Amino acid sequence: MKFACHKNTLLKEIILALDFTSQRNTLSIVSNVLLETHENILYIMATDQKVGFKTQIPVETLEAGSTTVFCDKFLGILRTLPDENIIFEESNDTLLIHPDSNSINFELRTIAAEKYPTLEETANQTYFTIGQKDFFSMVSQTIFAISDDETRYFMNGVYLEHNNDSLIMVATDGRRLSYINRKFSQTIPSFTPVIIPAKFLTLLKKAGTDEGEIELSITDTIMYARFGHQIMYSTLIKGQFPNYRRVIPATQSFTCKISVAEMNEALKRVSLLVENKAKRIYMDIETGLITISSEESEFGQAREKITCDYTGDNYQLAINYTYLVNPLRVIEGEYFNLCFTEPNRAITIKPDPERDYFHIIMPMQKD
Amino acid sequence: METIWFHVDMDAFYAAIEQLDHPEYRGNPVIVGGLGNRGVVSACSYEARVFGVHSAMPIYKARQLCPQAHYVRPRMERYSQISRKVISILETFSPVVQQISIDEAFLDMSGTERLFGKPRQAAILLKTRVKNETGLVISVGIGASRFIAKMASGYDKPDGLCRVSPGNEIAFVDAVGLKKLWGIGESTLKALARHSITSVPHLRQHSLNHLQQLFGEATGLYLHQVSHGLDPGIHTGVTKSRSISTEMTFPVDVSKRTVLEQNLLGMSHEVMFRTIQEGVLASTVTVKIRFSDFSTISVQTTAEKPFFSAEQVFTLAKSLLASRWQEGQPVRLLGVALHSITAGTPFLQQELFENPYQRKRDLEKVVLNLRSKGRNVQKASLLTPQEEEKSP
Repeated sequence: MKFACHKNTLLKEIILALDFTSQRNTLSIVSNVLLETHENILYIMATDQKVGFKTQIPVETLEAGSTTVFCDKFLGILRTLPDENIIFEESNDTLLIHPDSNSINFELRTIAAEKYPTLEETANQTYFTIGQKDFFSMVSQTIFAISDDETRYFMNGVYLEHNNDSLIMVATDGRRLSYINRKFSQTIPSFTPVIIPAKFLTLLKKAGTDEGEIELSITDTIMYARFGHQIMYSTLIKGQFPNYRRVIPATQSFTCKISVAEMNEALKRVSLLVENKAKRIYMDIETGLITISSEESEFGQAREKITCDYTGDNYQLAINYTYLVNPLRVIEGEYFNLCFTEPNRAITIKPDPERDYFHIIMPMQKD
Repeated sequence: METIWFHVDMDAFYAAIEQLDHPEYRGNPVIVGGLGNRGVVSACSYEARVFGVHSAMPIYKARQLCPQAHYVRPRMERYSQISRKVISILETFSPVVQQISIDEAFLDMSGTERLFGKPRQAAILLKTRVKNETGLVISVGIGASRFIAKMASGYDKPDGLCRVSPGNEIAFVDAVGLKKLWGIGESTLKALARHSITSVPHLRQHSLNHLQQLFGEATGLYLHQVSHGLDPGIHTGVTKSRSISTEMTFPVDVSKRTVLEQNLLGMSHEVMFRTIQEGVLASTVTVKIRFSDFSTISVQTTAEKPFFSAEQVFTLAKSLLASRWQEGQPVRLLGVALHSITAGTPFLQQELFENPYQRKRDLEKVVLNLRSKGRNVQKASLLTPQEEEKSP
C-alpha cells in the first residue's frame, strides 16, 4: 500500500478516528486505525467494537492496499509533521511515513488489515436529516442530567423518542430530569425509543459544526450518524428507561420568576459555603423576594436575597444546588420560572417565556 | 486526676479452661481448635507454645510439631460463661469496664486509689481474686492510656503485671520494639523497612509531615503517635473506617456457581441486616475470594448512594464474583463486607422514581423484626435441599 496526501487533510480525520479506537491500556488491534486506499481514495476506519467511525478522503493512490497502525502514535506523528505533502508506504509490517521534501522518516509497526474487526454495515441504512443546531441543542439541554452510577446503567445515556412530528430527548439520574421536545418540519421516520450512550453524543458534538445538517439512522441496537463522508455509529444502551412521563408534574400551584443571571451569581457565592457532600441549599420564597442560603457549617454561613416575581405563601425549598446550576447554564433568555406545589414535591425549572424544554428537580429533605 | 487504664488479658484462655475442667490436661500441652484438615489453632496452652505452636496455625502443622498434645474442639459456651464470670469480677473494681473480646477487657481505674490502693496493689488484688474465684491466671497491663496498657499486659505474659508509669511511655515503646507495637503488622513493617525504618527510635526521628508523605495521612499520623507512646485512639468506640463483614471457609473447596451464589446471598443478607439493625448505611461492597492455592483477592464496588436492600448487595456481590472467578475454579473461602459506613439520615435527596429496592428494604425490615421475636423466617433459596424435602 502506498499513497500520498496533504498532512492537514488526513490529520483532521485521524483526530476524530482516535476517539473511536480502544483507549484501554492494553494495546490490541482495536487500538489501531484501518487505512485502505484504491482509486485515489483513502478509506479510514476505527472501532472499539462499541462505537465505529468510517470516512474517506481524496489521496493519490500509488499502490492499492490496506493496513492498520496504532492510532494514538500515528496521530502524534501527523501532528508534528510539516504542513505539506506526505508519502505513506507500507511494506514488511511497517508503515513508512516521510514528507515529500524532507529528511524526516518514521517507521510505524503495522498489523494486517485482515485481522481488524468488521465494522457495522452502514451503506444500506435509511437516514433522516435534521439540522445540527437543533440536534445539538437537544443534546445540551439534557446530557448533563444523566447518571454516572454504573449500577443504573440504563440512566447512563440520553433517551430519544419519536413523537409524531417531533423528537423527544430525556435524561435523568433518578433525582432530576431534563426534557426537550423539538418539532421538525420534515417527516421523521418512526423508530422504537432508544437510550444513547452519553459518550457517543459527546463524540458527535466534537465532529459536528453546529451548522448544516446531520443524518441519523436508528435501529433497535445501533444508532448511526453521518456528516457528509463521515459515518459514526454506536451500540445503544440496553435496558428499560424509567417511565418519565409519570414524574412530570401536570400542574403546579406556584410560579416564581427569577433573573437567570442574578440566580447564577447568587448560587456562585452561596455555594462557597455549602457542605460538599449533600450540596444542599435553602431557598426561602416570599412575595417579591427569594433568599438563598447555605446551612451553617464549620466554616460559617452564606445568605443572599434576590428579587423575584412571586405572590403567595412563604415556602422553604431545599435542593442540591448543582441541580439548579446545571440547567441554568443552558437555559436561554433572561428569566426562568421556578414552579412548585409543595416543598417535598418536584420543582420545575423552565425558561420564561416558555420554550420546548424544562428541567425537573426533586427537592431534598430538610432537617 | 491521673488517668489509669488497666488492660486485662486472660492467659491462653480457652486452653486454660480446658485444663481447669480436665485435671489430666494440667501441665501438658493442650491445643484448642478445629480438628478437621482445614482447622486452625484457636488457642494453645503455654506447654504447647514451647513446641512452637501458636494460634492461627493450621492444625495439621500443630500436629507435626506437637503430636503428643491434647487436641480439643472449642466449647464456646463454656468459655463465654467463664468470661462473664471474670468480667463480673472486673466490674467490682471499676464502673468502666470495656470488654473488647472474650478474653480481654479495659478498666478505667482512674481515681480508685483510695479504694484499692496504688495501681500495682490494685492489680495484684485483681489477679488474686480472679485466680481464687475462677482458677484462671490473667495478665494485667497498667498505663496512662489504653494503648500503653494493652501493650503492657503483653509485656511479660503469662501471669504478667507491668506498669508503665507516666512519663516513661517513650522508653516503653522503645523496649517493646517496632514488631510488637500495637497495630503494626507484617505489611506495615515491610513498608517501614523500605524506608530503612527498623526501630521505634528511628521512626520517631521522622516528622509527622514526612511520615504522612510516605505512608498517607492516616497511617502517617498513626505511626507518629505510637512512636511517641501516644494512644492513636484504640478501642475508643469511634473507629474511623468500619466495615461490617462475614466470611466462611468451606469444609471442602467449592467450584459450583450455584453453591457460591447461594452463600453470597446468605452473607449479603447477614451483613445488610446488621446495617439495618445498627441503623447505619453502607455504600461499598467487597467480595473476598480465597482460592484453593490460598491466593486471596478482594474486589469492591461503590454505589452512588447507600444500599437499600440485601437483594441489591447480592446483585452487586454476584457480579463482583463473576468478574474474578471462572466457572469451575475451586474456592476455599468466600466473604462479603460492607464499607463506607455512615450513620444518620439516609435518604436526604428525594427520588423521582420509586426505588425498586425500597420495597425490598421494607420487607427485609419486617423479616428482621419477626426474627427478633424468635420467628424463623428464611429465604427459600437459602434452604438446603434436605430441609426442602422435609417440609410438607
